Amino acid sequence: MADQTKSKKNGGNGNGNYTAEDIKVLEGMEAVRLRPAMYIGSNGEMGLHHLVYEVVDNSVDEALAGHATKIDVTIHIDNSITVVDDGRGIPVDDMVIDGEKISAAQVVLTKLHAGGKFDSSNYKVSGGLHGVGVSCVNALSHQLDLEIWRDGHVWEQAYSKGQAQTKLKKTGTTKKRGTKVHFLPDQEIFTTTEYNFDTLAQRLRELAFLNKGLQITLTDERQTDPKTGEAKRLEFKYNGGIAEFIKHLNRGKSVLHDKPIYMEAERDGVQMEIALQYNDGYSETVFSFANNINTVDGGSHLSGFRTALTRTVNYAGQQLGLFKDVKENLTGDDVREGLVAVVSVKLPQPQFEGQTKGKLNSDIAGVVQAFLNERLGAFFEQNPPVARKIINKAIEAARAREAARKARDLTRRKGALDGGGLPGKLADCSERDPNRCELFLVEGESAGGTAKQGRDRRFQAILPLKGKILNVEKARYDKMLSHEEIRAMITALGTGIGKDDFDPAKLRYGKIILMTDADVDGSHIRTLLLTFFFRHMGGLVKRGNVFIAQPPLYGIKKGKTLQYIKDDREFVRVMVKRAAEGMIVRYGEGAAKLEGKELARFMTTLNEYIGFFDKVNKRIRNERITEILPRLGLSQRADFERDKNTASKSIQQLEKELHKMEKEQQLKDVQSYFDEEHNLWGVQFTDSQGAERHINWELAATPEYRQMMSKFKQIEAFMQPPFVVELGGKGTNGDNAADLSDAEREDLEKAAKKSSKATTRRTKVEAEVVEKQSARELFEYVLNEGRREYTVQRYKGLGEMTAEQLWETTMDPERRTLLSVKAEDIAACDLIFTTLMGEDVEARRKFIEENALDVKNLDI
Amino acid sequence: MPKEKAHSLRCPTCRALVLASEENFPFCSDRCRLIDLGKWASGGYVISTPVTDPEQLENMRPEEPGKDHSENQ
Repeated sequence: MADQTKSKKNGGNGNGNYTAEDIKVLEGMEAVRLRPAMYIGSNGEMGLHHLVYEVVDNSVDEALAGHATKIDVTIHIDNSITVVDDGRGIPVDDMVIDGEKISAAQVVLTKLHAGGKFDSSNYKVSGGLHGVGVSCVNALSHQLDLEIWRDGHVWEQAYSKGQAQTKLKKTGTTKKRGTKVHFLPDQEIFTTTEYNFDTLAQRLRELAFLNKGLQITLTDERQTDPKTGEAKRLEFKYNGGIAEFIKHLNRGKSVLHDKPIYMEAERDGVQMEIALQYNDGYSETVFSFANNINTVDGGSHLSGFRTALTRTVNYAGQQLGLFKDVKENLTGDDVREGLVAVVSVKLPQPQFEGQTKGKLNSDIAGVVQAFLNERLGAFFEQNPPVARKIINKAIEAARAREAARKARDLTRRKGALDGGGLPGKLADCSERDPNRCELFLVEGESAGGTAKQGRDRRFQAILPLKGKILNVEKARYDKMLSHEEIRAMITALGTGIGKDDFDPAKLRYGKIILMTDADVDGSHIRTLLLTFFFRHMGGLVKRGNVFIAQPPLYGIKKGKTLQYIKDDREFVRVMVKRAAEGMIVRYGEGAAKLEGKELARFMTTLNEYIGFFDKVNKRIRNERITEILPRLGLSQRADFERDKNTASKSIQQLEKELHKMEKEQQLKDVQSYFDEEHNLWGVQFTDSQGAERHINWELAATPEYRQMMSKFKQIEAFMQPPFVVELGGKGTNGDNAADLSDAEREDLEKAAKKSSKATTRRTKVEAEVVEKQSARELFEYVLNEGRREYTVQRYKGLGEMTAEQLWETTMDPERRTLLSVKAEDIAACDLIFTTLMGEDVEARRKFIEENALDVKNLDI
Repeated sequence: MPKEKAHSLRCPTCRALVLASEENFPFCSDRCRLIDLGKWASGGYVISTPVTDPEQLENMRPEEPGKDHSENQ
């Protein structure tokens, strides 16, 4: 270098005048060669690539200043690099450095910390590099060729290891302008000199994103297409700038909103560009840049961005009223889930921190924050649907965070003194072999108490759960499982919970038996428990560990004999059977008669028919009209079909029937109509309440309607009122006929017949005759006849049974029946649960009503 | 009520359709499972029904504090 300065001054080359001044210059280049890592990060692969970035950054600066539009980077077969731009070209005029005249270009290439970028009036914003510039590249290159096209002339100069080999010479004329730098990294310095195409491509693409409109190409002459012989080449140009960067980062992801949110402005001398877009993932991808440098450790621009994002999302959420059931504000983590963002600032003289310059220290957090607050706030106001999506995602993130915390609480031991940690409410069994143990989950403290007394403590454990809480405020019962209940359950079961912790092998009981009251409340709590098991302990259901106890619904007593009945169906069956003994029912004009088993079967089916009839009638709200339907046998699709101009026969008949009762039932506008959409006929009318009702295929296709029709078919022959009931003697003495098994009863009856013929005759003489006008009345009468001889107790809750009764009927493995919960039941359970939890209050009410129907009808 | 085997259900948390063969069934993901578990853990699932017994309604207010106390123990 001493030579160069001399050569410039003296117009000669290397004549050996070696002065102290020259040493300084030498020292500069020599220092870089001695400790390259200090200047370009390393003398390995990273540093090697860094050389390219240094040169390219000079070109980018020209682009930033508005003078260059295109940068071409070429990797040659010897791993040397050429960088060409179409900027103004490095100045070639002489300047005086340390009392000597040197061309400006040579200063840039040989002096550390030299160059236009240090004067912010020339380059307002510099792609700033690491302040060392292209001189380092020069110092570390075995060979560097500089070519400048400026003011119509071409200038050239050659260097080696930082030293000028020639002086800057005007070699010709040109119409082009710009700078071309070709360099070959010095093998003495670098441990590797092999360039990686992808590494360079990635950074060049990034630069193209960060400087919108700038075209950057990368050509690799080492790789040529075998067919065309053309070198591998990529071109990057993004008119959308960092908004396209976001798209690039989100490629292959499912995004929440189509377009990235993009904003740019210059304030207080700071150029800011922010783009963001959410995807449906959970991770955060945010890149921050200051003067094109990737600030991997963030800094003031990033913190300003984050603060504003959190604040703006929270504010918009409040404005849109989305936080009704969110307790706390959304945190920064919440609003950054699924976020992909690029924050790019360009500012004069940026202050960085740390050796790697990965963190921006310039005091611009406030500017960035105000900018994003304003722009993003405005965007949210103008695009509420997008705002809603983003905010709801953040709310979901907040919920997940909260949920995770609560879920952790479920299994966290309260303290070291917990010992085994079994819940205090658990009455455990003494047996330790899980296969022989049973755990009863019992709803209610009182039932829990009864169960504790009634159990076999050797192998039966009881965990009482409080499932129903009086909500005084709302005058409602809240049926729920509290945190403590669920926690106690999980602890008692011993399986743990959650994807990683749940282990069915650790189950402490072979059978988990849900024991709830046989009423609506009980079924709700059972649904809650089952849903919990299906969702979070599905493994136990699959392994067949979960059961439902079948406590009796009735205790019927005759004399001293008590019989348990598990449900309403069985209750009706027993009662009807009982009543049918000695009863004769005559029906229809011909006075055909029904008795004994036939009568009992008729009554049982009639009961089922009435059940479905009532469900169908809920849609028609007029029993008289509903009754017509089975009689007309209107059940097939064909019954509703005919051509457009004439109604089907069945429909005509139905219309006629309805007209007949028009006055009596206060019907209006009875008429058949043709439904063009389905090509089907139907009948419509307005009832006394003013509601429009339709009888059509839609109604006939419902399950309850079909069931009603099928049940009707089975008993149609008998459905001929009036019914005449003749009560004969029952041959009972009042103390022997508790409804035992059929065999037992038959025995009893035989005995009775033998012993008391007289009695039988006498009661026959006194036989009553009762007439009933409808099947329903007949059924009710018969049922009541059956009940007359019993004391019927309906167990509203488990607690109404004594401990012995509960043991005998429900807990004793010898006598009880258990319902095994199967994995397939999940769909049914889910449907009930979803309906019970549903937003649709009306649907829920209806559902509860309909499912409580059987209970209600026979409520005693 | 449908009794046939469930081939798919909606994820209780996000309502996405989930096949019975999927790993996290009936949830679409472990995250949705966790959110649901959190809801159970915080008493988020409540079936609420009105108190219909007039006597109970009448007695509710004076009874409650004592009852509440004993329930907490």
